[in-house]
Amino acid sequence: MRDLFNIGLLLSTIRLATPLILAALGGLYSERSGVINIALEGLMLAGAFTAASVTHYLQNPWAGLIAAICAGVLIASIHAIACIRFKADQVVTGTAINILMIGLPPFISGALFLSTGSTPQIPVNKLIPWTPVVIAFLLVFVTWYVLYKTPFGLRLRAVGENPGAADAAGISVTKIRYAGVLLSGALAGIGGAYLSIGQSSLFTRNMTSGRGFIALAALIFGKWRPVQTMLACLLFGFTDAIAIQLQGVRYGGEEIPNQFIQIIPYLLTIIVLAGFIGTSRAPRALGQPYEKER
Amino acid sequence: MKLSLALLLVCALAIALASTGCRTPTSYATADDPHKIHVGIVFDIGGKDDRSFNAAAWTGVKCAETGLLPNGQSCGKPKLDIVLRDVEPGNPTSIEPAMRAFAERHYDLIIGVGFAQAPIMESVARDYPNINFAIVDGVSQLPNVASLVFREHEGSYLVGMIAAKTSKSGTIGFIGGMDIPLIHRFEKGYEEGARAVNPNIRIIQNYVGVTDSAWNNPGKGKELALSQIGKGADVIFTAAGNSGLGAFDAVEQAGTQNGRATHFVIGVDSNQNGVKPGFVLTSMVKRVDNAVYDIVQQVVNHQFKGGFHVFGLSEEGVGYAMDDNNRSLISPDVILETEAAKQKIINGQIKVTDAMAQ
Repeated sequence: MRDLFNIGLLLSTIRLATPLILAALGGLYSERSGVINIALEGLMLAGAFTAASVTHYLQNPWAGLIAAICAGVLIASIHAIACIRFKADQVVTGTAINILMIGLPPFISGALFLSTGSTPQIPVNKLIPWTPVVIAFLLVFVTWYVLYKTPFGLRLRAVGENPGAADAAGISVTKIRYAGVLLSGALAGIGGAYLSIGQSSLFTRNMTSGRGFIALAALIFGKWRPVQTMLACLLFGFTDAIAIQLQGVRYGGEEIPNQFIQIIPYLLTIIVLAGFIGTSRAPRALGQPYEKER
Repeated sequence: MKLSLALLLVCALAIALASTGCRTPTSYATADDPHKIHVGIVFDIGGKDDRSFNAAAWTGVKCAETGLLPNGQSCGKPKLDIVLRDVEPGNPTSIEPAMRAFAERHYDLIIGVGFAQAPIMESVARDYPNINFAIVDGVSQLPNVASLVFREHEGSYLVGMIAAKTSKSGTIGFIGGMDIPLIHRFEKGYEEGARAVNPNIRIIQNYVGVTDSAWNNPGKGKELALSQIGKGADVIFTAAGNSGLGAFDAVEQAGTQNGRATHFVIGVDSNQNGVKPGFVLTSMVKRVDNAVYDIVQQVVNHQFKGGFHVFGLSEEGVGYAMDDNNRSLISPDVILETEAAKQKIINGQIKVTDAMAQ
């Protein structure tokens, strides 16, 4: 057991939790304003692909990071326009964006790099392995401050809980919701950039492998609150890290089957969700397009 | 308003579908010369640019089509004057429609890349008995399907020897992609080769996952490699497609001492020595390119035969890659010993366990 718990495990937990925290915080801004954001996976892919491509062309990861934010915002604006302006079903639009982002990066990389699905590798000295980690943890507290201590945060929460009342109080529901969704694109974009120019050195198709959805689970698990959501992400990161450490470990002469180890994170999620957190209440207006009363 | 929304969604879906690989060969078939041999290839989920397994298959068919490697150099074999179309499925459900689309267009040879396509190809090939099929890494009993299989354990045995000889810490690692019998074959051969050199060597084995996303998760691949390095491994063999590239980053990050890398990675399937020169000890090459080229040639010469086509060390279907990128990393004695073991495997004096036969 002693060689299981060490500094390596801690660092591994933090690295694995970082993309989840960034995406989950993004989801928080969107969902607190009342717009379901199931598109986090697609937004992360947009960020990951753009970051890797721009970093490759300019040999500058900071440019890549900024481009990833822009890409996230751009794709999120599709979601925002469809959901807010045209009052589309938010789950359907989000799913459409996820499907779009499975196909779009290989399509573009085919034109740019004659390679469908992956970008050229970036040299290790052009990567930013720790900056996004610092950004992620700082943003948790920034988000907490914004949400609970600023007028914008109050308006965001009001619009997500009772848009009618917020509107009557003179708050523009539309503007606040646009801000929420676009911010979610920016943050998920950083999360994706971390995957392609922080943790690894290239983009490969579908490289998020479900992290956007795990971030969404962490957001629900964290009851749409920034600090709790971060703790949920750390728990998921920890179970992932411990699963890595447990592989190949022998217990009483028998190796623990790999398939069992791989389900630990999900098993733990179900147990914790079912038993320990109590009811997790969504923002009341979540998923409902706002019709202005006349 | 409702109308413009509908249009938006339709556009989004259309772009998505067009680029996820539901491309049917129909769209460009009009320009084809019907007298030429038509070859369709359906790649694995990793896509043809994984710098590894799928890339090797792509090299093979590209060589058959143009006589050139994807980078424009000659591949050393004659071009076969074929019409080549490829599909990269975005998800497992688009494999079957892609194969059927080729079959409906009366293609002469349809190649499926990867073990996961074997059951799909079986059902398609049964419906089109007059079309030739070839499956890489898969097995089918149908007479019109050629099963191109490799003796990966033999090549893995040799790189296991090189790993054990090169390791200073006495601990080496293995990172597999998806936890499946085919990859156990790499793992077992590697282990046996390493133990033949050093019976007390410690081998840490990890898998990226148990679903097909395990081939496309370089972040997880890097975490696994870092954890193995943390436990003392200084040579890591990857058999994990794109995920393996994460291990390449991990050893580069571990750095160099006196101009020599402290940790090494061993590539797989394609020659990956040039991916990060100086950090890649060697690559367990699997000549999928040769196997695919040969089967195309057989169809062109009307000599296609179904059944097993087995590629081992004696057929040079597997092996380890030596080139200018890694010659200085491995001592000549190690090469001599490895070559001797290679001969013994070919002669049958050394029997390497085939984990899939168990």
